[in-house]
Amino acid sequence: MKHFALLVIAAGCASAQSAFTPPRLPDGHPDFGGIWMAATLSAAFNVEEHAASYGTPAGPSVIVDPPGGKLPYLPGMRERAIDNDQHRERDPVGQCHMHGVPRVMFPPFPLEILQDGDYVVILTETEHGVRIIPTDGRPFLKDYSAWNGDSRGHWEGDTLVVEVRGLNGKGWLDQAGNFVGAGATVVERFRLTAKDTLEYEAQVENPAVFSRTFTVRVPLRRRPADVELLEYGCIEGERDAAHLPSPNAPVNGGQR
Amino acid sequence: MIRLALALLLLAAAPAWTQSPSAAKSVKDAHDLRGIWQAKGNAYRNLEAEKGVIVDPANGKIPYRAEARSTADRNFQARATTDPLLVCFQPGVPRTTLLPEPFQIFQHQDRVVIVYQDVHAYRVIFTDGRPHYDDGIEFYMGDSRGRWEGNTLVVDVTNFKPESWLDAAGHFHSNKLHVIERYTRTASNTMNYEATIEDLEVFQRPWMIRVALALHAEPNFQLIEHECDRDAQGVYRHPAQFLK
Repeated sequence: MKHFALLVIAAGCASAQSAFTPPRLPDGHPDFGGIWMAATLSAAFNVEEHAASYGTPAGPSVIVDPPGGKLPYLPGMRERAIDNDQHRERDPVGQCHMHGVPRVMFPPFPLEILQDGDYVVILTETEHGVRIIPTDGRPFLKDYSAWNGDSRGHWEGDTLVVEVRGLNGKGWLDQAGNFVGAGATVVERFRLTAKDTLEYEAQVENPAVFSRTFTVRVPLRRRPADVELLEYGCIEGERDAAHLPSPNAPVNGGQR
Repeated sequence: MIRLALALLLLAAAPAWTQSPSAAKSVKDAHDLRGIWQAKGNAYRNLEAEKGVIVDPANGKIPYRAEARSTADRNFQARATTDPLLVCFQPGVPRTTLLPEPFQIFQHQDRVVIVYQDVHAYRVIFTDGRPHYDDGIEFYMGDSRGRWEGNTLVVDVTNFKPESWLDAAGHFHSNKLHVIERYTRTASNTMNYEATIEDLEVFQRPWMIRVALALHAEPNFQLIEHECDRDAQGVYRHPAQFLK
């Protein structure tokens, strides 16, 4: 029994920042380099706890704040998410768009992280998406609007903190139609908690849609060393455009 | 006993982490191609019409096989509607390098990554000697494997899909396309780019283009997101700010 307790303590320590020493780059920062993928696909299906339904396995909530794991939608906003869920053809990813932050970090496809000098680069296989994150303290772009926004990173100890602004407000959070709207900003935290585990957290602030901030946490797992990203074509060879909704159709349950 | 096993486990695991091949990444200065670059000139419009772009053969003409030249001519006539780039296909190589949009080069010990602003295409170019994909696996951007010859990064690109064009004038290739690119930094702000283009189904012999690349040295310059969206007909189109 005593030994079991020791093991539990050891396991507890292993998950604390002080217990795990990450591999480091010559500049002293932790080395996040490699190919990663969300350890659970539950978040890609639905960031909230969800029962199984057609095409969607059941899964737990990845929302760690607020307690209870539900998105803190303002009155009327959850109805828009439900409307989206009933019109998944509106999903921007289904229309070849990049996922937007934070959804871009937990799709059911691998992504590569590369650190080079003052940049952290994230290449996603899906939609051949790209995030280039300067860590040199430069200011944000002005009047910018983009699917993956404009990212600025800095290190807090061994944690990479990335602030994201300039999101276009059209991105979904998951396949179930949960969404962010105009003016959303995100603060992400990346931290190696084990050799092959990169903990990813994103705090989303979006007063137009949510009554308070919320935070999702998804562990990313390292893919084997021989895995390479493959090219992802979506627009190329598109044959189903006629079945997609009109570009003038409402998005996010009527919010444009 | 359990404690001993745990200690052994930790001992066994630790060296594997510290000996990771990614632990020591650095790029020798002469091999440093990093930065945001952009092609000078207008080679993207028409490789044959831009003086000095085709350096081999000496007459500056693409050495098409006879039947292929007529396909290029038909492409030229229809280029306003049939250029795959207009509907946001990934551009292919070497066309992606020639576009009037910047691209950014990143380097690791075993790979060079190029991110292009145009439709956020990217290439991961392994420089560790690993082989190409097998025949029959095709990519719009091809499969790139690099090596250093002196201070030149030589990139061998194969496994192409046949749909992409080489420029906006309808010059084309088949899925037998084989491109050998050479990137040589010539000064702090300039790089020489050469591409040898082989495709025995379309061309009688290999031919070569040469274009100068300029570094974007403006403070805080960065790539911006170039994402295509559907127009009223449901066709993917470039956003207005990227239309040339």
